[in-house]
Amino acid sequence: MAGISLSRWTMSYFVAALAALIAGETLMVAGYGFPAATLSSPETLILVHVIAIGWMSLLLCGALFQFLPVLVAHPLYSNTLPLPTLFFLLGGLVLLLLGFLQLAGDIAASPPLLPFSGLLLSTGFTLVLWNLGRTLWAARPVSLPARFVIVGLTCLGLTVAFGVVFTIVFGGMTSYEPFLLIAGAARPLHAIAGIGGWLTFTAVGVSYRLLAMFMLAPELEGHRPHAVLYLGAASLALIILAGLYVVLFGGPLLSLLAVCAIPGIAALALYGADIFHLYRVRKRRNIELNSRMAAFALMSLSGSVVLTIGLIVLGRLADNIGAVVFLVAFGWLTGLSLAKLYKITAFMTWLECYGPVLGKTVTPRVQDLVIEARARKWFFLYFSAVWFSDLALLAQQTTVFRVGAAMMLVATAGIIVQLARSRFLKDVNEDIRLPEGTHRPKLFLSHSRAR
Amino acid sequence: MTINFVDLDVRPILRDGGEPFAKIMQTVSALGPDEGIRLLATFKPVPLFSVLGSKGFTHEAREIGDGDWEVLFRRSGEAEAEAPPAEPAAADDGAWPEPVQHLDNRDLDPPEPMVRILATIETMAPGQVLSALLCREPMFLFPELAKRGHSWQGAFEADGTTYKILVRVNGNKEAAA
Repeated sequence: MAGISLSRWTMSYFVAALAALIAGETLMVAGYGFPAATLSSPETLILVHVIAIGWMSLLLCGALFQFLPVLVAHPLYSNTLPLPTLFFLLGGLVLLLLGFLQLAGDIAASPPLLPFSGLLLSTGFTLVLWNLGRTLWAARPVSLPARFVIVGLTCLGLTVAFGVVFTIVFGGMTSYEPFLLIAGAARPLHAIAGIGGWLTFTAVGVSYRLLAMFMLAPELEGHRPHAVLYLGAASLALIILAGLYVVLFGGPLLSLLAVCAIPGIAALALYGADIFHLYRVRKRRNIELNSRMAAFALMSLSGSVVLTIGLIVLGRLADNIGAVVFLVAFGWLTGLSLAKLYKITAFMTWLECYGPVLGKTVTPRVQDLVIEARARKWFFLYFSAVWFSDLALLAQQTTVFRVGAAMMLVATAGIIVQLARSRFLKDVNEDIRLPEGTHRPKLFLSHSRAR
Repeated sequence: MTINFVDLDVRPILRDGGEPFAKIMQTVSALGPDEGIRLLATFKPVPLFSVLGSKGFTHEAREIGDGDWEVLFRRSGEAEAEAPPAEPAAADDGAWPEPVQHLDNRDLDPPEPMVRILATIETMAPGQVLSALLCREPMFLFPELAKRGHSWQGAFEADGTTYKILVRVNGNKEAAA
């Protein structure tokens, strides 16, 4: 029964991720990429990957380095690997964005950078999979939330594999026929494996544990969460395998995807019922801001499911897929991430700073590191802005969308200021801020002092 | 020898739902050789008797009305803790003594269960055992216990939802000695 210490580099991942989020939102405000440009334009690819890799993947990797060990009750395989991993991922992302600029013709096309970006990103993500995979392997049999993470990590591997094929094809390094077919038609599979599998499925699994923990609700272990796991995993497997078959040998890809998504939508409905149950049976009546704001993220997820079904019925999904993806990315994934980050940052900072002296002297509580009343307005603004922007996308109002994006940017900046204040203990009463034996935490690096 | 009693009223702390152990132990460690403590609490603080007993204090408790208690702690001249442990070899793996502290932390918000356990341990004498009930395995507590030289045993109860941990104060240091 080993314990879990602080993940040393998680804060660095969080800082890099938040910087990418600000960069991505700034691009949207500037009208760069979708919706001003088409979904498959290089500009949109830049925007999408700043958000998907720079913001969400880095955030999720950083969070998993800290919390996967909690889910499986086993220490992280390596606490040093995450730093080189981060350099590979950041380097790969920069080259990827430059490679897209080459596709757009904005910078010189030689030497082709996309294949190198694929090399760095796949190395980085392989290190992530190795580190987390070894942790999971050593801890088996693993708990239910961790099994969601296994499916998520598998999808990460597939997403990266598709991505690498794209980079070598668009970098002009291969003329192998199946790769050309994949590069030509498998982008929806890459997106579904990434957003639906890696990001959403992992977030679903982790949220089972985090929401139960923060609201003092009993862990869910019954049939329903298992059904969510199996239906969701089956749906993802069907989409990717059948999708790949259609890409290589021909067939109607979009109709096939819609059919294969049915068990996935059922899984999301059951997940919604589970989470609703968690909120209802919680022992803690006054829940903290992070749990309240997570509810808005969950509403965005259900909103995107309803929107998808509605658009299918109206036969207008293909025209409005951008609005669906936007709601999933910013309402659900980003909303949930920011809400949980608000708690996680305070908790990790508290544990690092006060852990060594707990019980020996008067120390602040975790909640003393934050002032929820101040953060609340930025979260409200954030979610309102996301929903407003999504309506603008549905109405195809590009300029109105940029106004919404500007509100999102302001709200995100407001939330980040609150995160920084908790990291630097700015809101802790000065009398108990730094008792003897404690040190102010650093921004990037978490320290577990040996004694 | 006349004993001066230092007054310590922990009733306000207890009524606010707080944990007075740290405060009590601070007061104890600040006592002079001819000083004792007059403790006022909202219940008979039985666990404290053995904790302070091991530090060489005798106690005299009486109810003072409204369920409140006054306890006089004075030095007996002999600290049990300073006597050689009865079974030094059995320090870690052998039979642990009965817990002197019992905490039920199942309804506390994380990380409050961990804070309570660490605070209570600070009030206990080497070799004593604390027992606590939790609603999940306290993964972040273990490194802190290890750093402080305590040993522990823990497992989920048969119901699968209650995690019971026993912590033996300074168990690791004893084992190493």
